[in-house]
Amino acid sequence: MTKPIIEVKSLAKNFGDNVVLKDITEQVDPGQVIVVIGPSGGGKSTFLRCLNLLETPTSGEVDFNGENLTTLDPKRVNELREQMGMVFQNFNLFPNMTVLENIKLAPMKVKAVDDAAATKRAHELLKQVNLDDHADAFPSSLSGGQAQRVAIARALAMDPKVMLFDEPTSALDPEMVGEVLNVMKELANQGMTMVVVTHEMGFAKSVADRVWFMADGFIQENNTPESFFSDPQTERAQDFLSKILM
Amino acid sequence: MKKKWVLFLALVIALFTGAMMTGTTAQAASDDSLAQVQKKGTLVMGTSPDYPPYEFQATVHGKTKVVGMDVAVGEKIAKDLGVKLEVKSMSFDSLLVALQTGKVDMVISGMNPTPARKKNVDFTHTYYQGGYSIVINKADKGIYKNKDSFKGKTIGAQTGSTMYNESKKQTTDTTVKGMTSVSDLILGLQSHKLQGVAMEKPSAEAYVSNNKELASIPSDFDLSASDTSASAAFKKGSTSLVNAANKSVDQIKNQNLVNKDYLPAAGKYLKTNTVNTSMLHYWKAFLKGVEYTLIITVCSVFFGFILGVLLALARMAQGGPLMTGLRWLATAYVEFIRGTPMMVQVMFVYFGLGLVVNLPALMSGIIAISLNSGAYVAEYIRGGINSVDKGQTEAARSLGMSRGYTMRYVVLPQALKNIWPSLGNEFITLIKDSSIVSIIGVSELIFQSNIVRSDTYRGVAPIAVIMVLYFILTFTASRILNFFERRMQHD
Repeated sequence: MTKPIIEVKSLAKNFGDNVVLKDITEQVDPGQVIVVIGPSGGGKSTFLRCLNLLETPTSGEVDFNGENLTTLDPKRVNELREQMGMVFQNFNLFPNMTVLENIKLAPMKVKAVDDAAATKRAHELLKQVNLDDHADAFPSSLSGGQAQRVAIARALAMDPKVMLFDEPTSALDPEMVGEVLNVMKELANQGMTMVVVTHEMGFAKSVADRVWFMADGFIQENNTPESFFSDPQTERAQDFLSKILM
Repeated sequence: MKKKWVLFLALVIALFTGAMMTGTTAQAASDDSLAQVQKKGTLVMGTSPDYPPYEFQATVHGKTKVVGMDVAVGEKIAKDLGVKLEVKSMSFDSLLVALQTGKVDMVISGMNPTPARKKNVDFTHTYYQGGYSIVINKADKGIYKNKDSFKGKTIGAQTGSTMYNESKKQTTDTTVKGMTSVSDLILGLQSHKLQGVAMEKPSAEAYVSNNKELASIPSDFDLSASDTSASAAFKKGSTSLVNAANKSVDQIKNQNLVNKDYLPAAGKYLKTNTVNTSMLHYWKAFLKGVEYTLIITVCSVFFGFILGVLLALARMAQGGPLMTGLRWLATAYVEFIRGTPMMVQVMFVYFGLGLVVNLPALMSGIIAISLNSGAYVAEYIRGGINSVDKGQTEAARSLGMSRGYTMRYVVLPQALKNIWPSLGNEFITLIKDSSIVSIIGVSELIFQSNIVRSDTYRGVAPIAVIMVLYFILTFTASRILNFFERRMQHD
């Protein structure tokens, strides 16, 4: 049995009186692709952001490789964040830097990689996401799909062990969704551990190892994609699936 | 909120009481004034050099320096004490403050030893007994005879001077208008805003002999000896220094040195001054003004920006009581600086801090303006940081960058771009606002123009020159800033 890379124990999060996450306990094994689906407002994004402590949990713990993030000092948290790449719905590229500079910034400042090595690695990653010809472009000149692929390359530049995707295709025009999902599929094929919050059911079906169905602040169902989509166990999941077009 | 306000007030009061206490202890110290000056080797004399022939600026071997009969008196006193004389220029109003705060050791500026002044400073014996005249436009010569001819009219006098007080007291139905510099008064006279200007007789004669448009009439003021005599002033309680100076003053009086040597010598400078009054002839004076204006502005922008960044970060500090305290302090600082006039701040740094450390005027000016600018820049930067999308911070933090790196490499560069126009505005404002330090005698553009005005007896031309110079400076600055703004545009 492999040791889990992420373990979530009794995780809860409130924003003031608003209880968003209630007592979540799950784990992610190395190489697994987890797809988190569920209705909007169910706490999916908050849950994902708790994994790398962009949101501080109200109670419970998040263990990464056996270390409890919630009790570590900020410096160690920064070090562990390097190993968890994150891709955002709105890309969050740095608008004042070129594509290449966006990718090189963190390796050079955080890991003290020298310029030549960082440039070389950035070009490799850009080839991987089919954007090497845009290395010197500024983010404002990119389409949404291109920007999101750059964001993925930027996260990969830190050589993370886990990639977190927070609705990576929700802000994209429909014709651009495919190019981003293809890059993610490829990444999954290479064995990257991934936690993906998405509404793309097709992607969940074809790529996920496990589907976590989340609603009302709970993981209601943790299932294989095959059984989840053909034979959902909980009433909440049945209700959700009946409402979306498949 | 209310509690915070009370605390803040308490802090301000504590600060001022502290300043006052230092003042009293300094005064109560035993009299070693003479020994101190001799130990220093220099005697610093404060004067307001716009009062020919008492004191004024002249170009000697290509350098501007303060000359006149008062300077000659100062030199004689310094020589007899066996020390070197150093002349510091400032406005007449500031002279006694400078004396009390130790910025200067002695004031000689055609000053009358009036009873009111005697309460605050010690005077030597009289070195010169003058009288008052009123300068009028030559065209009006038949109309005005003496002080009583100005019913329903306006006469001018230097603010803070004896003439000003006596003019108020001894005229009826006459408006008395005070201005800081005599050159401004003469300008007021020539532009018919004033019908007469009361001043010391030698000064009046100097103006009349250098300007054919002017004439002088006797004032017929009823004056006591102390109102018409001139003495050197020293800090209250410095008896040993006053006694030593009195020996020199008595010699000057006995040998009639003022009339025999000092006034004729001053007259010669006046002649060389007025030979060529074209503005071009004074390009060096203006250049020096531009140079100092630029030094003050550039240094203040630099230090003000650093202070502004620190204050902005302090104002946004989050966390324990230490951070809360820091935030509160920064907020109090910004509010206090924005709520008090820059002119008062400049005077406070120069005279107030002068009680603790003796800073040169230029440095005081730069410090005061940097402290002032920092408060404004802090607010721009805080706004700029808040204007950067939160997603930028999250992206940087998710890449493992620390809070500090995120601020430095991701947020601040973008904030800077957003606030660049505001910062540019601040820079241009500073070029103009640096003129405030002229009150403590830093030779920036305004100060230099006043010198040229009193040198040449021309009122308007120097103002026009510095107007153009200021515009050239600000316009060039705004072009340069626009260039960088365009370079930062990527989206």
